[in-house]
Amino acid sequence: MSHSDRTAAQEPEAQEPSAQEPNGHGQAVHRLTVRDSPTPGTRRRPSSGSLLASELKQLFRRRRTQAMLLALAAIPVVIAVVVRVSSAVPPGRGPAFLDRISQNGLFVAVTAMLVSVPLFLPLTIGVVAGDTIAGEAGLGTLRYLLVAPAGRVRLLLVKYAGAAVFCISAPLAVALAGAGIGWVLFPVGPVALLSGDLVEPDEALVRMLLIAAYQAVSLLGLSAIGLFLSTLTDVPVGAMAATIVLSVVSQVLDQLPQLEWLHPWLFTHNWFGFADLLRQPIGWDSFGDNALLQAGYIAVFGALAYGRFVSKDVLS
Amino acid sequence: MTAIWLRWTPAVAVPAVIAAGVLAGSLPASARDPLPEKTPAQVLAMIGQHQTKSFSGTVEQSSELGLPDVPQVGPTPGAGTGSLAELLTGPHSARVYVDGPTKARIQVMDRMAERDAVRQGNELWLYNSKDNTATHVTLPAAASKESRSHDVPAGVTTPEELAAKMLEKLDGSTDVAVAEDTEVAGRAAYNLVLTPRSAMTLVGSVAVAVDGENGLPLSVEVRARGQQEPAFRTAFSNLTLGAPDAALFNFSPPPGASVKELAVPAKPNGMKGQVDKNRTGKDLADKNPAGRNTDNKDLRGHAPTVTGSGWERIVGIPAPSASAPSESGESGKQSVDRLLNDPLLRQATVTVQGGRAISTSLVNVLLTDDGRTFVGSVPLERLQAAAAAR
Repeated sequence: MSHSDRTAAQEPEAQEPSAQEPNGHGQAVHRLTVRDSPTPGTRRRPSSGSLLASELKQLFRRRRTQAMLLALAAIPVVIAVVVRVSSAVPPGRGPAFLDRISQNGLFVAVTAMLVSVPLFLPLTIGVVAGDTIAGEAGLGTLRYLLVAPAGRVRLLLVKYAGAAVFCISAPLAVALAGAGIGWVLFPVGPVALLSGDLVEPDEALVRMLLIAAYQAVSLLGLSAIGLFLSTLTDVPVGAMAATIVLSVVSQVLDQLPQLEWLHPWLFTHNWFGFADLLRQPIGWDSFGDNALLQAGYIAVFGALAYGRFVSKDVLS
Repeated sequence: MTAIWLRWTPAVAVPAVIAAGVLAGSLPASARDPLPEKTPAQVLAMIGQHQTKSFSGTVEQSSELGLPDVPQVGPTPGAGTGSLAELLTGPHSARVYVDGPTKARIQVMDRMAERDAVRQGNELWLYNSKDNTATHVTLPAAASKESRSHDVPAGVTTPEELAAKMLEKLDGSTDVAVAEDTEVAGRAAYNLVLTPRSAMTLVGSVAVAVDGENGLPLSVEVRARGQQEPAFRTAFSNLTLGAPDAALFNFSPPPGASVKELAVPAKPNGMKGQVDKNRTGKDLADKNPAGRNTDNKDLRGHAPTVTGSGWERIVGIPAPSASAPSESGESGKQSVDRLLNDPLLRQATVTVQGGRAISTSLVNVLLTDDGRTFVGSVPLERLQAAAAAR
């Protein structure tokens, strides 16, 4: 539950900081710089697997994380209920596929995934990724993590992996909740793709999982940006806000025709490219382009985060 | 200090590596063997003889005609999707599947939507996912090969068709040359460049890339005078030879779609006019690149007058007389009004001396106050002069 679980387990002699107590970063008492090279042999290096497991446990046990996943799952529920109680939507109005929901419940998931792309998903990712390092620093637990012989690079990797797992679970929450509520409230049958061809519900589910995978990949770049911003500050809210603002700014820039040369380089540029997964045959080009672009962002901001975090004086 | 410098090395190296990779990727592959020399006539013959009947590929089209852009925001299909002018602004991409003369499928990939045209034998289906509408046309048996160029929906034309159309127009008015080889969709291609000899046309040059192996036109690029970027470009971005999956040509409208049946008159030509009414865009798309293919079915029955020749040709459409509705049930004026109902085109219309004009970098259209219409790839003053001459 608390940040100290893993620190305490690995290092029983470490003092447990309590979350309520002001941790007083910046105080002279704490002004000892903790380096990531403890004397070898004195402590067992925890395996990366157990580090990741405890990171995930901590992440998904947090009320905040659970609340965000629940809020994401509520999007399709709201859409489905509204469509259910209101009159038919004329085609061509509102988000794509909205008019199809009453004919086929699986479109609830597609519509919900569509509307959550510009804001809701980046919002939750910003909170998780911005919190990675700065959150520990803000609570004063970062230096305990580094006293434990985990190594800064490994800590960074584990933190990023935790954020990546959230990137996978967030779109999945939308997709599964959407498919579930659609199945409950509406008839489910063969799904018409954008090309007009029909696919059976089981293949439609596969395509939905592919869309979730596409969105997860889309969010990995943003996570890397959030991780880097998180190493810059001890105030987690600052890193979260900066990450979210960046995702909005990037989307705004993507709309300006004057900046056409820049568009292919924006990490949000391919966020809506998952439409190609709803065509027959599936267009994989946009999936590949997006993956390449996000890999570039991960490499650049991962390297920046490394440079910053390894040379950082950890005071809190 | 050295240690800190070392720690920041990846942050510098990674962008450098990415930049190097991008630069290397954008350089043309120079290792390719040059194609054997050919004269323009030989390249033209290659196009005429090409036997490539089955292929699948992606066509990218971009236009810089000076029309206003359609903003594409958020998770909805673009506001103007399906509108006539929208197809002539900004980029579009379409997937093309062709297997012989009677099986074809074209998918115009819009944002969160798709427009399809599927032809198998004499069955033609048009489908638009945005409003979930389908149109079914049964082609008369006679409309076999020629009509293939007609069942392309709205706007995105395959390079093959466009090249054939333009090369027909070759005469003394045009300088034809083979420029340096290019590469389109990863294939080496001859670059056939047509330059109008007249200085009075808006068209600067037309370049057609012809596949060095099989003669299939791979790209068409139309440049306007005094404009850096191509005014219109359509090109394969990838191309696979060989028959596509046969299941692609089996189409039936999804349940819930509103289906419209179109009757086809006995004359195969009539089909085009009919389809035009529902699939906007074809008429202007026809008019667009060469600007002179104006014997439109919409305008028939009013004996359009043609002045000038070659690239300077101006087509004048007289004001409609109320007593003579054309056989397609729609007069030229009405079709012009219909064009102007398109919000984007209305936005592009400016008031000039003697009427209103739609100016693009390739084609000018003058709508005179007394209801006549003049179209040509010439400066607006020439249209005004032609209008004043009568």
